[in-house]
Amino acid sequence: MKRARLRFFVVALIISTVVGMVYAENAVAADTIRIGWTADMPGIGATFYKSQKEAIELFIEKTNAAGGVLGKKIKLIIRDSKLKPDVGANMARELILDEKCDFLIGPTSSGVALAVTKVAKQYKKIVFFHTSNTEKLTTTDFQPYMFMVVPNTGIEGRGIAMFLSKKPYKRYCYIGPDYAYGHTQWNAFKENLKKLKPDVQILKAVWVKQGETNYTPYIPTLMAKNPEIIYSSLWGGALSSFIKQAKPYGLFKKASITSLYDLDMLRATGLDMPEGLLGYARCPFYAVNTLAMQVFTEEYHKKYHEWPSDWACMAYDGLLALTAAIRKAGTTESDSVVHALEGLRWNSLRGSRYIRAVDHQANVGIYVGYTAKDPRYKNFLILKNAVEVPAEKVWLSAKQVKELQPK
Amino acid sequence: MTFDFFLFMLVNGLTQGMLLFIIASGLTLVFGVLRVINFAHGSLYMIGAFLAFSLSTLLPSGSLFSFLLLLLLVPPAVALIGAILEITLFRRIYRAHHLIQLLLTYALVLILEDAARLIWGGDIRNVARPEILAGSVKFLGLFLPTYNVFILIMGPLVTVGLWLVLYRTRTGNIIRAAVSHPEMVGALGVNVSRVMTGTFMLGCGLAGLGGVLMVGLANITLGIGMEKIIECFAVVVIGGLGSVGGALLGSLILGVGVAFMQLPLSRLAIVFPYIAMALILIIRPWGLFGRPER
Repeated sequence: MKRARLRFFVVALIISTVVGMVYAENAVAADTIRIGWTADMPGIGATFYKSQKEAIELFIEKTNAAGGVLGKKIKLIIRDSKLKPDVGANMARELILDEKCDFLIGPTSSGVALAVTKVAKQYKKIVFFHTSNTEKLTTTDFQPYMFMVVPNTGIEGRGIAMFLSKKPYKRYCYIGPDYAYGHTQWNAFKENLKKLKPDVQILKAVWVKQGETNYTPYIPTLMAKNPEIIYSSLWGGALSSFIKQAKPYGLFKKASITSLYDLDMLRATGLDMPEGLLGYARCPFYAVNTLAMQVFTEEYHKKYHEWPSDWACMAYDGLLALTAAIRKAGTTESDSVVHALEGLRWNSLRGSRYIRAVDHQANVGIYVGYTAKDPRYKNFLILKNAVEVPAEKVWLSAKQVKELQPK
Repeated sequence: MTFDFFLFMLVNGLTQGMLLFIIASGLTLVFGVLRVINFAHGSLYMIGAFLAFSLSTLLPSGSLFSFLLLLLLVPPAVALIGAILEITLFRRIYRAHHLIQLLLTYALVLILEDAARLIWGGDIRNVARPEILAGSVKFLGLFLPTYNVFILIMGPLVTVGLWLVLYRTRTGNIIRAAVSHPEMVGALGVNVSRVMTGTFMLGCGLAGLGGVLMVGLANITLGIGMEKIIECFAVVVIGGLGSVGGALLGSLILGVGVAFMQLPLSRLAIVFPYIAMALILIIRPWGLFGRPER
């Protein structure tokens, strides 16, 4: 008899534990805001992922320590979208349906972002893009649950063209990868520049084969044309290798290579980077003079012993906007938060910014400056005295956006 | 095409070719003696480059001394990794079917690449050139990067060194004998397995040397091993499996060929190694310097 009673006791204990756990889980779920992140972890995504993750975790840690949002703690759930659009779409679906995420944050690749935004639309979940930045997300592929806190490709391309048009440079060359992305970028840049400054001379476009690591053969062609600016859609490792190889030929004594000089690229190139090159960045911590950025940079550096990349700052800014909107709406319900986000003014790391209602693009511009050494940063050069080209000057007008957006 | 331009392209092509030769010679040497096509050779080259990066972070940046230290320390370190691989793994598959060898070496590629990912991560790594090699020299009215000239000198030095080892030393005699008549060499009382380990180490050391030399030319990423092993295969197929002289010729054909094609026909330059390889396989399947399999 004793044994039978014991068995009953054990079974009862197991059942109560399991039931209790389920209840506890649900109780926790009601008390948390679940943010799902489709992150591009492998390959070229790895560097981006690392700093984005560090910034996002720092944000969540700080917010939760201060009592969370609307009294709820934030929980981050990450899925690897592997730089593949179909995987990204599946992961976004999983995050919404299985992980019951309230909000999504986006990947690094624009291709994946275009797939994720469709899923977000389908399930009416807000998605924030902080690194992927194709202008299609705000125009032809726009959907009302999408928000962007990174300067989109239009703001970027037209921004740098506008900056250059105000400088005395006239002789332009181009070097970029020989596939659709490179050609589109160059054509858009050329058109914009000619519109703003009809007397520029477009001397030569040099096309680099995909996956190239030896840029030496292209150098004499560029030097022969004697350009002042070599515009480029090479970025990251490719740009860094090109600069390293072209430097000994003296190419940069006369010309600048102008492209995306994000912090990761500047750090990787290190002191091999020549001084006085004109470049731009999406969100360089060292060029933003706000108290918020200063505090963030210090906290980040204290915790991770390195400076936050552009991607880290923008991921952080996205969460600042999202939580500000949740507080304003007083709920995590998607449509109310969308309503709160449209036209929202929030205190971003880049100062007070707003999100335009028509395309959900934050008014963030690119930062343009010339490479120089700085005593504060021993191992890499920065864009000294970088200035922001205001997004309002170069983004598409509300009318243009509406024409492009799906009806 | 002006003479200047021609010379520029030639120097550039030869530089790439020489670097390729240093790596491919290791691959072909290992095949010649051990009869194993080591797929993981490119991964060892990549590890050499990453080791050079790690070591460089401990040394003053841009000094010639640091760079020489990298050249002296990294190749033996990679050779040591090679020794471990040979003793624990390769030794067991010399007589196995080609498919088994392929499986093992390919598995090694995956393991080594992931190990590198764990240790060094996916970041782009860069090692600054030593200042003395960072500038350019004037030659026939043309500015050539000093570093490229340095590689152009290193290449023939390695060639001569390899030749001396193989043809002018006792070890070399044994290695060459082991290539053609392994049983006979064993019957004469030579410790063949030690010769094999030694050869494998030498091959891996060459991959490591290639890795160190590479850091002065471009950034280090996880993909460089895969990229290089394909080029090395093309070189070895063109030159003849197992022939060091063939590897030299194959490397130079590939390096110079791609260099001259890159500009006018950038898309053709991507497929050039494969076309060259396919042509050789059709016309002379055993390669330019190889011998038909008996």
